[in-house]
Amino acid sequence: MSEFAQQLVNGLTVGGIYALIALGYTMVYGILKLINFAHGDLCVLGAFIGLTVITSMGGATGSPAAWVVGLAFVVAIVAISCAGALLEFAAYRPLRNAHRLSAVVSALGASMMIENGIMLIWSPQTLVFPQGILPSKSWHIAGVVITFTQLLIIVVSFVLMAALYLYVNRTRFGTAIRAAAIDQDAARLMGINVNRVIVSVFILGPALGAIGGLFIGLYYRQAVFNMGWTYGLNAFIAAIIGGIGNIPGAMLGGLLLGLFNALAAGYISSTWQQAITFGLLIAILLIRPSGILGERVAEKV
Amino acid sequence: MRTVFYRWIGPAIWIIGLGVPLVLGPNWISILSIFSIYAVVALSQDIVLGRAGMFDMGHAVYFGVGAYTTAILNTVYGWPILWTMVPAVVLAALVGGLLAAPIVKLRGDYLLVATIGISQIFHLVMVNNVAGMTGGPDGIFGIGVPSIFGYQIVSQSGLFLVGWLLLGVVLLLMNNLENSRLGRVFRYLKEDELAATTLGVNARYYKIVAFALGAGVAGSAGTLLASQLAVVSPGAFVFTESVTLFAIVLVGGQASIPGVLLGTVLMFVVPQVFRELAQYRYFVFGIAMIVVMVIRPQGIWPRRRRIE
Amino acid sequence: MSETDTLLTLDNIGISFGGLRAVDGLDFSVQKGQIVGLIGPNGAGKTTVFNIITGVYKPTDGAVRWKGREISGLPPYKVADCGILRTFQTIRLFSGMSVLENVLAGQHMRTKQTWWASLLNTPGQRREERALRESCMEIIERLDLADVANEVATSLPYGVQRRVEMARTLAASPELLILDEPAAGLNDQESAELNHTILGIRDSGITVLLVEHDMNVVMRVTDNIVVINFGKKIAEGDPHSVRNNPKVIEAYLGVDEDDDEVAA
Repeated sequence: MSEFAQQLVNGLTVGGIYALIALGYTMVYGILKLINFAHGDLCVLGAFIGLTVITSMGGATGSPAAWVVGLAFVVAIVAISCAGALLEFAAYRPLRNAHRLSAVVSALGASMMIENGIMLIWSPQTLVFPQGILPSKSWHIAGVVITFTQLLIIVVSFVLMAALYLYVNRTRFGTAIRAAAIDQDAARLMGINVNRVIVSVFILGPALGAIGGLFIGLYYRQAVFNMGWTYGLNAFIAAIIGGIGNIPGAMLGGLLLGLFNALAAGYISSTWQQAITFGLLIAILLIRPSGILGERVAEKV
Repeated sequence: MRTVFYRWIGPAIWIIGLGVPLVLGPNWISILSIFSIYAVVALSQDIVLGRAGMFDMGHAVYFGVGAYTTAILNTVYGWPILWTMVPAVVLAALVGGLLAAPIVKLRGDYLLVATIGISQIFHLVMVNNVAGMTGGPDGIFGIGVPSIFGYQIVSQSGLFLVGWLLLGVVLLLMNNLENSRLGRVFRYLKEDELAATTLGVNARYYKIVAFALGAGVAGSAGTLLASQLAVVSPGAFVFTESVTLFAIVLVGGQASIPGVLLGTVLMFVVPQVFRELAQYRYFVFGIAMIVVMVIRPQGIWPRRRRIE
Repeated sequence: MSETDTLLTLDNIGISFGGLRAVDGLDFSVQKGQIVGLIGPNGAGKTTVFNIITGVYKPTDGAVRWKGREISGLPPYKVADCGILRTFQTIRLFSGMSVLENVLAGQHMRTKQTWWASLLNTPGQRREERALRESCMEIIERLDLADVANEVATSLPYGVQRRVEMARTLAASPELLILDEPAAGLNDQESAELNHTILGIRDSGITVLLVEHDMNVVMRVTDNIVVINFGKKIAEGDPHSVRNNPKVIEAYLGVDEDDDEVAA
C-alpha cells in the first residue's frame, strides 16, 4: 500500500511537470492547429540556461543562495519566453496561411535547430545538476517519502495551473484567448487582436515550459540536449489525453499521464514504460481522439 | 518538343549515371550508393505522404524492417543478399499494411502522432532485442555483399550499380503510378476523401494499400542498406530519420520526383560531402527547413502539372 | 405505379446530433424515372437527409431502402456502388487536378484495374486507360466542357465547376443522381441551362433527387416534391399542389405571431 502511495507521489511530481509543458502544446494547438514540435526543446533550453546561471553564481560547489535559484528561474523564463515569441515571428507567422504541413516542417526544423544548438553551445554529453541546489530535506509520512524537490514541483505546478486557469477564464484577455481558439475569424471580427493573442500564447506556453524544463533538471539532476523529444512527446501525449486544445484538459492529462507512467514503470516494466505510454496514446487516438475533456466535432458536409 | 524533352530527360540522366564508376573516385561512388538507397526510401515516403496525403512520421520503421530481415536471413540462415530482398519487401509491406489498418482512419495530425508512437515502439522493440534475433542496441554485424550468378559484388562500383538499378526500377514504378488508376485514387483521397468515397472509393482499403506499397519499397532499400553498411542497428532507423524523410518530401516538393530526389541530395548527400562538419548537420538542417518553408511553402521543386 | 418501380424508400428516418433532432420520422420514396424535389426552409434538414441516404451519416432510427434492400449503415462507397451518386452543396472538386482527372474519378468503380497493373503499366492497363479517357471525354463534351478539359478544375468559374461536378458524378453511371442545390450561385441564364441539363439527365434514364432553393428550377423540372421543415415532412405532391399548400406557405413565409393570436 505504501509502495502504491509512493508511486502516486512520484507520479504526481512528474505529472505536474508534464502538465506545465503540455499547456504550451495545447494552447498553440488550440489557436493555430499546429503541433509546436519545438516546444519540448525550448523547455530543455530553459533547463540549460537555468543550470548555467546557477553554476556560474557559485552553485557548482556547495549550496547556492535561494535567490540564485530564483534568479535562474527568472532568467530561464524570460529567455525562453523571448525565444518562443521569436520562433512564432520567424518560423510560424509567415506560414499562417500556407498549407499546414509547411508549418509542421518549420516546427520540426525549429526543434532540430534548438536541440542541436544546445548541443553545440553546451555539450553533447549529459550535464549533471550539482547536489545541493535545493535543500535535500525530505519527509516520511506513513512510509511514503516526499523530498523537498517533489513538494516544490507539486506545489508550484498546481499554483501555476490554478493561476493560468483563472487568467484564461476570468480575465478579458483570457476570454480573447478562448475566443481565438474557437474561431479566429469571428474573434477578429469582434475586435480581438488575434496576432496579440497568438504572440501571448507563444510567451505564456514557453514560460511555463521553462519552469517545467528546470524542474526536470532539478528532479532528475541531469539534462541532455536531446531529452526534449522524450519529455516533449510525453507532454504532448498528456495534451491529447486531456483533449488537445483544451487547457484544463492538458492539466488533467499531464497529471494522469504522470500517474500512469509511474504505475506502469512500478508495476509492469520500467523498460517498456515508454512503449506502454505510446500504446495508450494510440488506443486513445482510436477510441476517443478528442480526449477526455475535448468535444467531438462533426464534419460539416 | 518540350514534352519530348521532359519525357526523356529522366531516363537519360539515369543512363549517364550508369557510367559513374568509370569517371568518379571511390569516395563519390559510395556517396552515390547511399544516395540511391535513400532516394528509394524518400520516394516511398512520398507515396504515403506526398501522393496519398497521409502524415506518416514513422516511415524509417519499414526501412528498418527490410534491413533487419536481410540482416537476419543473411547472417543466421546464410541467404544470398539479393534473395533476401523478396522477404524484406513482403515483410515490410505486411508490417506497413497491418500497422496502418487500425490507424488510417485517423485524420491529419492524429495520424502523425500515431505514427510517431509506432516509430518509438519499434525502436524500443529493437533496442530491447525482443525477438532475440535483432542484436539489441548494437544490432547485427557481418552482413555479406550481394552476388549475381555466383559472382560476389565486393567492389563499391558493383554495390553502386545494384543501388542505381533499384532506384531505376522504383522511378519507373513511380512514373507508372502517375498515369494510373491507383495513382489517381491516392490523389483523390489526398484532396478530398469524402468526395472520393461518395464516388465509390473504398478509402480505408486504398490508404492501407498506400502504406503497404510505401513500406514495401522502403523495405527493398533496407536490404541494400544492410549490405552497403554491413551492419544494421536501431540507430539507423530512429525517429530523427523518419523526420528527415518527412522533411525531404516537403522541402523537395510533394508528389514531385525531381523534388524528392533533390531533397534527398540536400539531406543525405550534402552531409556525406561535408563529413568534417557532421556535428553541425542537424543544426543547419533545422534552419534550412524553416527558411525553405518560409520562402517556398510548396517545396523547392514542386510538382509540375502535366498537360495531356 | 408498381412496387418494382420504387428505387429509394426512406422509412421513418430520424437522426439526432446531441440534443438536436435534425430529422424526425421522415418517410418518402423515389420512383424510377422521376425527378423528385426535396425542399424546405434553411436549416430544415435537407442536406442531412442526403447525407443519410449516401451513408455519410447513419440514421439514429428508421431505414433507407434501395430497391427493397436496406442500405442505411452502409459506408458511402458501398452506397455509391449501388448506383446512388451525389453532388455537394459546397462544390467538392479535387483541387489542383484537371477537369478530365476529376471526371475520371467518377469512373473509379466501373474499372477493374488492379493495383499491380497500375504499377506495372501492363498492356491491358494502357488499353483500359485509353478507353477510360475516351468515355470521360464523351461525358465532358456532353456537358459542354471540352474546351476546359485540361484546365485545373478548381480555377474555373463557379457555374462551370458545378457542371464539372455533375460530369464527374455522371461518369459513375448513376441510377439515382442526388443534386444538392445545383443552382446555388448560378445566374439566371445558367440556371435555365441547368433545367435543361437536369431534364436531359432524366431522359437518359437516370432518376434525380434534388434539393433546391431556386423555385424556378424546382417548379419547372420536378414531378414530385417533398417539403420538410424542422426535420419533418409537412407536405408532398406535384409542384402545383405543393405551391398552394397553406402549410408550405406558412413554413416559407413564417407566421406573424400577433395575427395568430388575433385569429385564436
